[in-house]
Amino acid sequence: MSFNLLIVDDSRSMRAVIKKTISMSGFKMDQCVEARNGREALDVLAKAWVDVIISDINMPEMNGLELLEELKKDSLLKEIPTIVISTEGSEKRIQDAYDLGARGFIKKPFLPEEIKKVLYEVIGVSDEGEYGEDKGDDDTFDF
Amino acid sequence: MKENMEKIRETMTPSIFEVFEKMFYIFLEPLDIRYDEYDMEAAISFDGTISGDVRILLSRNMARAMVQNMLGLEGDGITGQDMEDCSKEAVNMVCGNFLSRLDSTKVFNLSSPSFKEPGDLESGEDICRMDFDSDNGKIGVIVRSL
Repeated sequence: MSFNLLIVDDSRSMRAVIKKTISMSGFKMDQCVEARNGREALDVLAKAWVDVIISDINMPEMNGLELLEELKKDSLLKEIPTIVISTEGSEKRIQDAYDLGARGFIKKPFLPEEIKKVLYEVIGVSDEGEYGEDKGDDDTFDF
Repeated sequence: MKENMEKIRETMTPSIFEVFEKMFYIFLEPLDIRYDEYDMEAAISFDGTISGDVRILLSRNMARAMVQNMLGLEGDGITGQDMEDCSKEAVNMVCGNFLSRLDSTKVFNLSSPSFKEPGDLESGEDICRMDFDSDNGKIGVIVRSL
């Protein structure tokens, strides 16, 4: 089984590095769509279904917390697991993200292993791609 | 004020190391002497229980190395936009990391990062200035606390 991802970040470099990190992790990614802010993310979601959203917080126009609020209002969209990835390190902002429905939080700067770990936890798939069956804890990458 | 600046320096230094090692695979060494020959700067301001701004000064070689290591691009594939984007992301991460080390119980608001040619490399009581060297070139970091 492969998954469709939506990466939301106003930095083109950060979107590229997140995408590269995920594809190198061995995560079975089908399509990866990108958005530069929460507003664009909602436009993408109106046209295409994704299985996971990875979103920054600090973005112009609509930030990541506002995006979570909008997702929460929609009975379908609120079911999409959302991982927040941000430079924000304050305990309150992290809690705010979880309160608004985020399923995971990754702090920038991150190691590739951290993205992989949170992604697999959130989507409920092991390294081997089997639901609920973790066949090892080898988090290393072959760069 | 001098004690505050020393605390800022002690808190900022590991943040700079962490961001450059984790995201750009660049290992920095503190420089004892001041270096002023930088080609570009990325800056961000913050506001909360304390306010101020963080500026990162970069040589062109350093900015190219950051793009190369972060995005896997090489040679002509590296554009000015890539260097700007990576530099802005670097100052954003350094500032966020610094503030959460300073006090993770407090919320700080960060501006959008900006990018330009280096401005005045000012000094003063409210300025903390650090320079670092690496195999890829030098960086300077200036923190101003208001």
